[in-house]
Amino acid sequence: MILEVSEIHAYYGLAHVLHGVSLRVDQGEVVALLGRNGAGKSTTLKAIMGIVPPRSGRVTFKGTNITGWPPHRIARLGIGYVPETRDIFSYLTAQENLLIAYNQRSRWTPETITELFPKLAELRDRRGRNLSGGEQQMLAIARALLTGPELLLLDEPSQGLAPIVVSSILEAVKRLKEQGLSMLLVEQNFDLAVELADRVYLIDHGQIVFEGAVQDLLARPELAARYLGVTV
Amino acid sequence: MARFRQRLAGLIPWAALLVAILVLPDLTRPTVATEVWVFAILALAFNLLLGYTGLLSFGQATFFGTGAYTAGLLLIHQRAHPLAALAVAALAGGLVAAVIGYLCIRRIGLYFIMLTFAFNLMAYFIVYQASSITGGVDGLPGVPRPPVDLYVLAWDIRPGIAYYLFVGLIFLLCAMTLKKVVDSPFGLVLQAIRENEARAAALGYNTAAFKRVAFIISGAFSGLAGALYGMLFGIVPIDTIYWVTSGNVVFMTLIGGTTSFFGPIVGAIFFIWLAETVSVRWERWPLIVGLVFVFVIFFFRGGFVEVWHRAYGLLVRLSQRGQPKYGHSKD
Repeated sequence: MILEVSEIHAYYGLAHVLHGVSLRVDQGEVVALLGRNGAGKSTTLKAIMGIVPPRSGRVTFKGTNITGWPPHRIARLGIGYVPETRDIFSYLTAQENLLIAYNQRSRWTPETITELFPKLAELRDRRGRNLSGGEQQMLAIARALLTGPELLLLDEPSQGLAPIVVSSILEAVKRLKEQGLSMLLVEQNFDLAVELADRVYLIDHGQIVFEGAVQDLLARPELAARYLGVTV
Repeated sequence: MARFRQRLAGLIPWAALLVAILVLPDLTRPTVATEVWVFAILALAFNLLLGYTGLLSFGQATFFGTGAYTAGLLLIHQRAHPLAALAVAALAGGLVAAVIGYLCIRRIGLYFIMLTFAFNLMAYFIVYQASSITGGVDGLPGVPRPPVDLYVLAWDIRPGIAYYLFVGLIFLLCAMTLKKVVDSPFGLVLQAIRENEARAAALGYNTAAFKRVAFIISGAFSGLAGALYGMLFGIVPIDTIYWVTSGNVVFMTLIGGTTSFFGPIVGAIFFIWLAETVSVRWERWPLIVGLVFVFVIFFFRGGFVEVWHRAYGLLVRLSQRGQPKYGHSKD
């Protein structure tokens, strides 16, 4: 087990957002966290990353209790985070965005990362603000990979992107999975999540309401209908 | 070829600066000309915080004044070598910035600004009270300008024009050093922090530590500028550590432009020129500064440098009129 989240409670000010969320990610596993808008998916990732520190509960990564650690220490320990908002540094070039993230322990370098995202090769000197949404998403994932993570947190990588871009990002994430990278994926795109994930958690109102293999979820279409509003 | 062209283009501002340093004494009094480069160093140091790290320090005079008094006291009482005095002044500025920065960086936004301001006021009152050492409100008079003794030759910097060249040289060295800093990986991280501190942290950077180091560097260069200022007039006026000086740096940097490395230099040239020439004829000169400031904020948020960029863009567009607007891309 690479990540274990147990019974975490998180708040935005007075709003109680996570009510005792527990989940785990095993080595080399891709886990999807699904739920409606506002269910607490992104907050769970932020809590793991230390950006919204949990007020109670425990987050353990590689056997180390990282609860309450500042984000930069969590990142250095080996968790890569791709936020929903992508947050490309808009005044830096694509290349600078990569350089700034680069850590020697990563299996990629700012040069070789283009094997995963060939498109990035031609965008090197382009400033972040002049990249399209899809390009920014690729850059955001590439940037997170260059920090040398053992676990990647992906927040809605397909959001707002054209189908063709989604498929190229899907391809890249699939390759990462083949290479054995552990991932925790938050998605609204049900089909994409089902295609990638080994295991699924459903979250609703800050609580985990289902946990199981992808097949188990597909075998119970009423769950997807109730908690995600999709018909399988 | 493109790389070569890029590097050549990067040299243009430096060439312009060199010309400006050589021409300026012909246009105005040596003291005014010298003051320009002193404040240009201060504005560059300040913009490391504002333009690159996104920290609006409203207490830059704390470090400027610290450097001025440190160098002044060393030169008066220890007969220190001018370069030693400058070095110690930079060290003192950096040290004070380390302490104040450590405390201020714990807060963000408005609270950060007000804390830097509060520490500036405290520093001012300490200097004001310790009049037996600092001369209090009358300033610290009698700061000598001993020759720069370099063993093989001694450079007499007492004549106004000699000191002007001395300051011009130090300014160039400071500007080149700061340019190296902002272009380094460290400088990239500072820019990342300015844009999105949380993201920089999620990439594994201890952003508070980076901000503290930026603060120390800025403080050191501000201290150096303060020392040059004291040596220029032979007196350290208490204004060097007064909050109005902090405000002036903010003004000149914003007017010049924070988004470009060279912007604050242009701002310093404009501000000092206005302060020293127009003020002689019209005592309400700050009104002009205010008007220019309002104009810049409304129409040219990037400062004077943006005026240049827009004019250049217009020229390029005019020269390309009639030609097809967009080339065909490969795909």
